[in-house]
Amino acid sequence: MRTGGVLNILGKLLLLLSIFLLTPIPFSYYYQDGMVTVFLLSSILGALAGGALVCSFYPETDLGYRDGFAVVVFSWLGLAFLGALPFYFSGSMDSFVDCLFESMSGFTTTGSTILPEVEVLPKSVLFWRALTHWLGGMGIIVLTLAILPLLGIGGMQLFQAEMPGPTKDRLAPRIQDTARILWKVYVLFTVTEIFLLMLGEVSFFDAVCHAFATLATGGFSTHTTSVGFFNSVYIESIVIFFMFMAGINFSLHYQGLRGRLSSYWQNEEFRFYLFLTTFSIFIIVIANLIYKTYGSFGETLRTGFFQVTSILTTTGFGTADFDQWPPVCKVLLVSLMFVGGCAGSTGGGIKHVRLLLFFKYARLQLRNLVHPQAVGTIKLGKIKVPREVLISILGFFALYVAFFFLATLMVTALGVDIVTGSTAVVATLNNIGPGLNLVGPAQNYGHLPALAKVVLTFCMLAGRLELYTVAVLLTPDYWALARKPVLRWKLLHAKEPAPK
Amino acid sequence: MKIMIIGAGQVGRHLSRKFSAEGQDVVLIDRNETRLRRLERELNILAVHGSGASVKVLEDAGIDNTDLFIAVTDSDEVNLVACLLSKKYNVKKRVARVRNEDYLSTDAPLNEKALGIDMLISPDRAMTDEIMQLITVSEAFDTAEFADGQVVLVGYVIHENNPCAGLPLPKLKQLKGSYRYVVAAIIRNDTTIIPGGYDSIEVGDKVYLMVRKQDIAEVENMFNLASKAPELVFIIGGGTIGFYVAKRLEALGINVRLVEEDADHCEYLTENLENTLVLNFDGLEANVLMEEGIEKADLIIAVTDSDAINILASLLAKHHGAKKCITKINRHDFIPLLGKLGIDVALSPREVAADMILRYVRRGAILSVTTILGSDAEVVELKVPNRPKFKDAPLKSLNFPRGAIVGAIVRDSQVFIPSGETTLQPDDNLIVFFTKDAIHHVEAFFEH
Repeated sequence: MRTGGVLNILGKLLLLLSIFLLTPIPFSYYYQDGMVTVFLLSSILGALAGGALVCSFYPETDLGYRDGFAVVVFSWLGLAFLGALPFYFSGSMDSFVDCLFESMSGFTTTGSTILPEVEVLPKSVLFWRALTHWLGGMGIIVLTLAILPLLGIGGMQLFQAEMPGPTKDRLAPRIQDTARILWKVYVLFTVTEIFLLMLGEVSFFDAVCHAFATLATGGFSTHTTSVGFFNSVYIESIVIFFMFMAGINFSLHYQGLRGRLSSYWQNEEFRFYLFLTTFSIFIIVIANLIYKTYGSFGETLRTGFFQVTSILTTTGFGTADFDQWPPVCKVLLVSLMFVGGCAGSTGGGIKHVRLLLFFKYARLQLRNLVHPQAVGTIKLGKIKVPREVLISILGFFALYVAFFFLATLMVTALGVDIVTGSTAVVATLNNIGPGLNLVGPAQNYGHLPALAKVVLTFCMLAGRLELYTVAVLLTPDYWALARKPVLRWKLLHAKEPAPK
Repeated sequence: MKIMIIGAGQVGRHLSRKFSAEGQDVVLIDRNETRLRRLERELNILAVHGSGASVKVLEDAGIDNTDLFIAVTDSDEVNLVACLLSKKYNVKKRVARVRNEDYLSTDAPLNEKALGIDMLISPDRAMTDEIMQLITVSEAFDTAEFADGQVVLVGYVIHENNPCAGLPLPKLKQLKGSYRYVVAAIIRNDTTIIPGGYDSIEVGDKVYLMVRKQDIAEVENMFNLASKAPELVFIIGGGTIGFYVAKRLEALGINVRLVEEDADHCEYLTENLENTLVLNFDGLEANVLMEEGIEKADLIIAVTDSDAINILASLLAKHHGAKKCITKINRHDFIPLLGKLGIDVALSPREVAADMILRYVRRGAILSVTTILGSDAEVVELKVPNRPKFKDAPLKSLNFPRGAIVGAIVRDSQVFIPSGETTLQPDDNLIVFFTKDAIHHVEAFFEH
């Protein structure tokens, strides 16, 4: 690992985020909430830290495959710290751990909050919360690739380490162009949703914040009662539609926007996603009807649609407190939490494609028991899936179980009850937001012990970067290959001044 | 520019690396998936798995808006079919690699013109040309011609007995006759230096000089290097390259011993060569080499298919008295080792071919490019744009980008070797040396 080069890139990303830290200032002016200095101060601190890193370390152009992991993990950690500063300075949260939790929850598009009430926050801080979602959704590094040439040759490694899914679609020969295409689609959808929400008489501010949170499959709302606050079928349908879209591979959207609508249906993962969504809605609606959770059929249908898409896409918006639903619904929803969105979407979780391939693999094993001599290949659509991809998926599941188990053990060791603890881990590891019981949709994470919040913060990061990227940094092997960083000033002194 | 390359062999890889480093859109197609995945991870390119001669694969890879189509798989037929297929699409330029001599000569029934391919390239032919050029300048380990051969880039190793060793460049300039050449690049311990005013030449450096062809003898004299055509040449390996080099050396009246392991093939060689002495052994038997007079050999050229045999045969021959060796190397990885081992010139046919393709492709504003083997430096021919900034401007006042140097100026088919006082004129052709990092500065310098 080229430590110096990694730190140099981290510095550049901090500089970029300092610029984004200035964007809530117009909102602060407009709403007169007195947060201008808070954002200015955070931005300056970020710029100083970033500047110091850039000045201290030389950029190294030959960043390798391995360095991608460190760049991405350190960048995300750095961004979460910097993003926590406005929360801290604004005085809206008590401890820095809380601010870090909230900031990480934003960037990783989790949407878990430690706040019992969000309306009390200044508007500009609310906007910042939504913006962290939006930046983290498509990926801050993918954004940097798209708009700045600074990441240079190492781009492909970074892209691979940040984009979700076992395989990556290249839409253009150059990774920068692929990143640009993805962000264009993302921006287009966001703007469309803002427009459609405003048609439903949502204020511009709420529309922007909710659109950011929807497309990123985040879940932060500007209201304590989340999307339920609007109490409008129109708005809920818009949000449902865009949550569903955000859970689809953005490469498919690109194909779709270019007029190839058939590519949606041709994609096997999309068909599975569609099937699982409809199937789950069906079960939940039936169960809620049998248990008479809601008075009317319309209400049951509406909440069923909303909660299933919200949980399956890992958004975590709420219109109903599903903690009050019958157990069968709760079990189904928690199971859906693991599934997440499609590969290449902004959703978290295991991803549909992995699950699909996992089942196909199991089916193949069953067939081989009956026909021991049969030759089996696993296909996705019409294309054979390489063996390495399958093996990496099996490894992914193993890591997943390990992370889930260890994190739950730690959280419950701190005195949190089983249901709260395990669903809190599920909800953060899969970047969803609300869990059950004490962290249910009507509750928040504020009351958890500080150490548990740290564990959950780590879970969010590990989940967003799909475990491997984070887990590899935990292996001693990785660090054995790290190089000592070279400081710029040392190089300056090492060289003799040029003769005049 | 969108470039589609068929075949991820050495030529394809080399080209992909070069083009993607320049920021071009590169699509690389190959049938070996593992190889593709590794390259995709390393380079900023789109790798597509499949056959380059398949319409579906080409269409999926986006051939419709490709500017340059390069087919360099191991199979002539695939390359030709792929290029012919690409004619159905909107491709601007086509390059194909072929081995079969039937397509290469100008009077062949199916030559470039008949096939409608812009450039047919054969690595073996390119290699033969390169070897022949090196032979004519005996002390150099590398040469390249520019401006229709009027100026030559020659690379020399600085030995201890060289009078210029240890001299800084300004001192060197004061020596008589020094205006006749430009020190274009110095390679020291594997790093490439484009020299500025204060660099000096040290023992062990590889120095690239830009010289007019008629001045080579004088410059070599100054550097205490004697240049004369070789009298006795050993060639190890009677494959295509060995055969054609032997044939051309024969024509120059040089005494050639061609060593070939395969007895049947020796028959063929004797049949088709006139004065060459064909020897049937593997080139690694010291006593046979000595019996045939290896100690008197001016040059040994090892061009068998095996890198190991080439390296060992060259070293063995040099140990027994051959003065200089030219060694064919297929694996790029070995090139850094060879200098230390005592190999004078290492050439890789595929890189030579790739460089020829690069040179061909960049004809245009940038007229031609040669990469200096095993270094970071590149050479281009550039046309000075017609802009007032460049008219009558002396070179030293122009703020020429760092890491780049003008090696020669071609004006109205006359060649000058420039100094700081030399003035530029629009439409001059400049031969510029630069390190890879400086390419964008050089381009920007001429654009703005």
